[in-house]
Amino acid sequence: MKLSGKVAFRDLEGGVWVLEADDGQIYELAGDRRIQKHGKRIEVEGDVNSQGVGIAMVGPVLSVRRYRFL
Amino acid sequence: MPVYESLAKCSVHLLVAAALAAGCCAKSKVGPSKGASSDDPDARVPGAIVVDFKDGTTKEEFDAWEKEWGVDLEFNSIEGPVDGVTIAVGVKDVDQVLEKIRKHPAVEAAEPLMSLQASFVPNDPEYPKQWNLRQIHMPKAWEMSRGSGVIVAVIDTGIAYEDYQEFRRVPDLKGIKFAKGYDFVNDDEHPNDDHGHGTHVAGTIAQATNNGEGVAGIAFEATLMPIKVLNQFGMGVSSDIADAIRFATDHGAKVINMSLGGGGYSRVIENAIKYARKKGVTVVCAAGNSGLGRVSYPAAYDGAVAVSAVGPDGKRAPYSSFGKELDIAAPGGDKRSGPEGGILQNTIDRRNPARSVYEYYQGTSMAAPHVSGVAALLYARGARGPEEVERALFEGASPVGDKDWSEEYGHGLLNAEASLKLVGKGPVPVDWAPLLIGAGLLAFVLLTLKTRQRMGYLNILFSPGFFIPLVLATVGVFFARWAFGGASGVSGEIVNGVSLPIPDWGRIIFGRGKMASPIFYSALIPLVASLIAIRAKGLRDVVAGLGMGFAGFLAYAAWAKAPPLAYMPFTFLALPWLLVNALVCMFIARAMLRKEAAR
Repeated sequence: MKLSGKVAFRDLEGGVWVLEADDGQIYELAGDRRIQKHGKRIEVEGDVNSQGVGIAMVGPVLSVRRYRFL
Repeated sequence: MPVYESLAKCSVHLLVAAALAAGCCAKSKVGPSKGASSDDPDARVPGAIVVDFKDGTTKEEFDAWEKEWGVDLEFNSIEGPVDGVTIAVGVKDVDQVLEKIRKHPAVEAAEPLMSLQASFVPNDPEYPKQWNLRQIHMPKAWEMSRGSGVIVAVIDTGIAYEDYQEFRRVPDLKGIKFAKGYDFVNDDEHPNDDHGHGTHVAGTIAQATNNGEGVAGIAFEATLMPIKVLNQFGMGVSSDIADAIRFATDHGAKVINMSLGGGGYSRVIENAIKYARKKGVTVVCAAGNSGLGRVSYPAAYDGAVAVSAVGPDGKRAPYSSFGKELDIAAPGGDKRSGPEGGILQNTIDRRNPARSVYEYYQGTSMAAPHVSGVAALLYARGARGPEEVERALFEGASPVGDKDWSEEYGHGLLNAEASLKLVGKGPVPVDWAPLLIGAGLLAFVLLTLKTRQRMGYLNILFSPGFFIPLVLATVGVFFARWAFGGASGVSGEIVNGVSLPIPDWGRIIFGRGKMASPIFYSALIPLVASLIAIRAKGLRDVVAGLGMGFAGFLAYAAWAKAPPLAYMPFTFLALPWLLVNALVCMFIARAMLRKEAAR
């Protein structure tokens, strides 16, 4: 799955990183920590982990395979 | 912030007069309280008054006056002859008598006697920053229970509970009891926290309290069971969660806290929650942080208590999810007006698990452990199972707005003090309203019939064939609940189930869900019964009673903002559904009653 959007830090549960996708969906970002740059626009390739649970509870967990800052 | 005096450890409940408390407090070791005042009817001691005469008034003097007032006054204590404070019990009309007494020139003050309950104010230095604990009335609740002997499992990122390898126990968990847990991420018996979330959550439930260090927790005499299912990024897989729930249940937990969510519907987790509940465990889950009207899993499963989050103002925090599966609201923090709006607990630094920090977090994860902590207090106070705990939580919750239930707050805002007062008070009081509405609607139905077609109102109402199904459909076998109410386990569930009003029997089949079944909350059962009655004419009055009972029940459900109905896409559809079906029930009953009369 390919998505574009904005990386954002949210002050929830001690801090979570999300992708605010251009289609309006919020994903919790899992994977490479170097992706954690607040406010950066990004294009990511990855999969939604349907078994994924976590502390964030903001939306589906997106396991990032590849990404590119725009 | 209310001003508390320094008496932190008074554990006795003393009776003193509110207005005189200021003068008596220093002598009588009573923690101050903003609770009781003369306009708080709950605090009144029934039939008791206190009269303060002018200093130096003698017993002979007021013995002479009291005959006219019809009371028997005695000095309150050996201080009486000095300060003139007297009390009387067994007063019939307190307000009227007081009015008379106040007119006497020697009386300085006369009031109902108030029961002042002591408050427990912990000495933890950061306690004043914990607005959340005062919001749920902890100072009074701690006087009643501190969670002793109850195991609370925290299924999360682990807890900083022991010194092991590179991990350190955080200082403000020193002295807290821990049960053996498990680490499902690394498959070992050391569920230490390498994230920070789980330790924060555990702190809300049972931070070491009144230890002169850090902050306070709710059930600080309870035993924590650390279970790690989430990794250092706060993520995990749903299969581990199901295992963790069963582990906690099989190892003696009475409460399970799950401040986590995500993934879709999972039959495996739902079954694990059902298993826990059947074994007498209360499962508490965070509603989610999407800010949308959709409760996330596992909170949305039947059998889980779903908790939304409020800020210091008691309003739903903008991030908190809500929806028709929601059960209750609790403080989760709202940092929009500064970090102090968050929930402060002791946890570990995310960058260094060995370093202790005190941090303000916000999230529905912070709200859920408030409910879990109070559930532990309820068990320690004698609650017998999840049914009774949930009833106490929901009935004790402070209503938000004018609704008994709402999508944003469930049954209202968690209130530890009020919930604890409901424990051990026996089974649910019977709600007679549906029966009365059913009986009232019967009068209306009869009026729509021609005089020759109808029988007398009381003749119908009190014929056993009509009255018994009317009672079964509106209040159920209420006396069975008095005898067996609160029992846990399978037998308890069946007794509780069949003793319910017939429309709630759906819960026996579909489980004790959060939502009522629209199949049972409809005219279907009276309709089927009426088809049978076409052949068996003797059943007419039975079906009429059933129909009127259902009409009363459904009308009451509609009026009382009934539980949301399952399978309905929008909650607002519940109201017209209930009303239309109530009308159909009345119509069926009317047809039955008319034929009966025409015979």
